[in-house]
Amino acid sequence: MSDMAVVLGEGSVRVELDESLYPKDAIYGAAYVFIDRCYVHLDRVGDRRIQVTLKAKKAGADSQAFAGEFQNELLGQAWRRAIVDENRKLIETITTRALAGAAGPPGLDDLLAMDIGEETAFEDPLGIAMSWEEKYKKKGKSAEAKAEDAAPVAPQDEKAS
Amino acid sequence: MIELRFHEELYDGFAIDEAVKAYESFATTELSRESGAYVVRVSASPKAAEEGIEERVLCAELSNYALGLTIERVREGGST
Repeated sequence: MSDMAVVLGEGSVRVELDESLYPKDAIYGAAYVFIDRCYVHLDRVGDRRIQVTLKAKKAGADSQAFAGEFQNELLGQAWRRAIVDENRKLIETITTRALAGAAGPPGLDDLLAMDIGEETAFEDPLGIAMSWEEKYKKKGKSAEAKAEDAAPVAPQDEKAS
Repeated sequence: MIELRFHEELYDGFAIDEAVKAYESFATTELSRESGAYVVRVSASPKAAEEGIEERVLCAELSNYALGLTIERVREGGST
């Protein structure tokens, strides 16, 4: 069976489509465009096949022109949906970034609302405020350094003589 | 009396109810559900006849209203 069948009547046209080629949303979109000029009716005529009936509101309308216009609109709607689906991830990423950027850095109110007290102000669970030497010094070396510090220093006068 | 059939997979039940309400002053309607379709039996009221509105046109307008509302609801993420 062909993917699309068109039956022309007097002032009306019946278009039968395959839903796997033209998604329901595309059919709805195309039908909506014609709703002001035509009486539009949708019906399911088989498994994954939808029949669209367009009947002109004004007498003497060219049903063949309606059929062609409807098919063009349908293709346009289906194509538009395909583009949206392809770019969905990109659009979502850009929107997320834009929203995050719009939020900006924390304001004065946000800073004032933070819980900074005597106990929490100097908490350093990740050890960020610690110096490099303090954080990575070797245990053996530190013991030697302590011993050197503890040893008495000879008076400078004796060394000179 | 004209019988309109709206397939359940293509039309929204709420939209059909709204369409029936919108045209209730021009028609007497009877709603039912039969084998996967919403069925609306429409009879034009005397008021419609007085105003020169044909029953056939009234049904077509009601059907269009139901479809339009269905599409709008689908776009809003409603149903169907």
